[in-house]
Amino acid sequence: MPQASCPTCGASLSFRPGTMVAVCGYCKSLSARTDRDPRLIGKLADLVDTGSPLVLKQEGSLGGRRFTLVGHTQLGHPLGGVWDEWYLAFEDGRWGWLAEAQGHFYLTFKEQSQLLVSAWEGLRVGGTLHLGSTLWMISELSQGTFKTAEGEIPWLVEPGATYAYADLSAPDGAFATVDYSEDPPTLFAGREISLAELKLQAAGAPAKGPKLKVQNLPCPRCGAAMPLRAPDQTLRVACAACGSLFDAEEGRFSFLKSLKQADPRMFIPLGSEGRLGGMALTCIGFLRRSCTIEGLKYFWGEYLLLDSHGGFHWLVESDGHWSLAEPVPLAEIRRTGANDRSIHYAGHDYRCFQSTEAVVEGVYGEFYWKVEQGERVQAADYVHENISLSEEIQRHPGGGQEVNWSRATYLPAEDVWRDFKLKGEAPEPQGIAPNQPNPHWKTARELGLWMAVALGLLLVMFVFQTVNGEHMLLQEHYDLFERVPALQPNNARQEPPSPATAGSRPEDAQDPVFFSNPIQVVNGNRNLALTLRAPVDNAWIGLDGALVNEATGTSEIFEVASSYYHGSDSDGAWSEGSSTETVYLSAVPAGTYVLRIAPQWDGKVPPVRAFDVELRSGVAHGLYYVLALLAAILVPILGLVRALSFENRRWQESMFTTKSGGD
Amino acid sequence: MRILYGLTLIAGFALLGANVFGGREFFGDRRRAEIPPSVRQTPGGWRTFMHNHGFRGGK
Repeated sequence: MPQASCPTCGASLSFRPGTMVAVCGYCKSLSARTDRDPRLIGKLADLVDTGSPLVLKQEGSLGGRRFTLVGHTQLGHPLGGVWDEWYLAFEDGRWGWLAEAQGHFYLTFKEQSQLLVSAWEGLRVGGTLHLGSTLWMISELSQGTFKTAEGEIPWLVEPGATYAYADLSAPDGAFATVDYSEDPPTLFAGREISLAELKLQAAGAPAKGPKLKVQNLPCPRCGAAMPLRAPDQTLRVACAACGSLFDAEEGRFSFLKSLKQADPRMFIPLGSEGRLGGMALTCIGFLRRSCTIEGLKYFWGEYLLLDSHGGFHWLVESDGHWSLAEPVPLAEIRRTGANDRSIHYAGHDYRCFQSTEAVVEGVYGEFYWKVEQGERVQAADYVHENISLSEEIQRHPGGGQEVNWSRATYLPAEDVWRDFKLKGEAPEPQGIAPNQPNPHWKTARELGLWMAVALGLLLVMFVFQTVNGEHMLLQEHYDLFERVPALQPNNARQEPPSPATAGSRPEDAQDPVFFSNPIQVVNGNRNLALTLRAPVDNAWIGLDGALVNEATGTSEIFEVASSYYHGSDSDGAWSEGSSTETVYLSAVPAGTYVLRIAPQWDGKVPPVRAFDVELRSGVAHGLYYVLALLAAILVPILGLVRALSFENRRWQESMFTTKSGGD
Repeated sequence: MRILYGLTLIAGFALLGANVFGGREFFGDRRRAEIPPSVRQTPGGWRTFMHNHGFRGGK
């Protein structure tokens, strides 16, 4: 390995193949590789303790190839704070770039192929970039500022220099960065990786865990206790007592300004500890945010929670509704609808509920970025059942921007109160939250299942009745003129009934009466249906009937009438009634019966010459099937209507109330 | 709502079951009566008997 001496102190410097600059471990001088002696670039500041678990010269292996962490830089982010980049020298001569941000690690390798990448200014976050065979999504466009370094660095850095980059993500954890500091831009592609995959071994000092020790510091302005619960990561602190805002970079408080903040409506005090979703969490910060829609300002609160591994979570409260939010990789989001009104995530379609600018109104506690009162982000919420996905696009100083997605799961307020051991009662939720579970869907689904069972049973019963079949007990044609010659018009010497004579049956008129032959009823558990068919035309004919048990005299007495009228009036043609009517009788005990029928009509001359009578048993009576069908479907329909009504009320609060996504 | 549905299902299917398996009819204008032999054997007795039981014919 080529060795050189530090131009400042003469200490040994290592320049392995690919190393462009090296930092002296004694005097922190930064020297560039040249053909001869190293060229001094400048002196570097000490590294910021970011709580990284990695250390220089640590060894590990990936896919069977050994590597050593030979270099480390810290770059400043436009929103404050620094992130770490580690440089892995593999035994085969390759270099790997390991970026570390908020507990996540991304390992990339320089792509050798020439890139045709759009200019940095021509890109937009949330957009796509086709590089090679991969469609990347642009998650961040920004500039990093070189702060300091240690060890060997495989690219030429200069203190204070800025480097434009575009962070890209693709499905399955794929990650890439386009480095715009070179011409043409260079692509570094790889994926998110866990430390376990890197099989790191301790080198010198053991790998550090994140520092989570609470620093109990007083507010420099009012003296109130202002403990830092995530001192490694906190960049800004707002005193909850006096409203003073401080920069907290590198463990020092720098007063920025006094905030004028309204009532925070904070339900979870800072420092409260609780468990949500199986995680032990501590509330370390609270933001009061607002958006303005149609001239009205709407407020909500966001609690920053710190877990035992140093990870951050958000608990969002709006009008008494609570949601727990966690980040979602951009690449897992796919836009599906026009005008960005719908997206696809994890197998489900999400519909845009609102899109607006969110403003930070109040800042309380500590935060991992340089939050400010008045900070604005473009926010959009997409909803599917009890999950909402939120997109926040934040502009960076210097023209960059980044997009972050989070997934918020609805939590009952009682759970929050119980898990954080809060005093009093949770405030009653107002209205319906975008991701509030519809309490009626479960019932509606259950009722739907029961309805399916009931409809199946209905079908079984219909099939049972159809298979058993109906039995014809009597089928008779009655020719009135033939059976009662006296009724013939010539004999009656009377015209067919006119409207004037209708209904004026003479008192002394003698009704014809017919008795059937004996009818054998074999099954006493089947209903009976008597059908009368008579070709009446603007007239009626009825039957007074009785089914008489010859042995006991027990009779089923009934009436049935065929009645059909039609005509036309100022509203057009009309008609009513039917020439065929059926009367249903309850089952009668098995035995021998006689059917007695006495025809009835207006006037002396019957309106029809003949009529037909059928008596059947075991007849499917549609009325009961209809009633059972109604019994089976009405309540489930009511349950469905109730669930849909809930959804309707939910979406009435949306900026996009129609399914098509229109305004 | 589940209880309401249970009661509705029981009512609806009880009616249907009684009709399909028991031949029972619950609706319609009909009556069951014991017709005395005197009525059955008397000319015109049927008409009077049925008139007195509410069956008067006509539309």
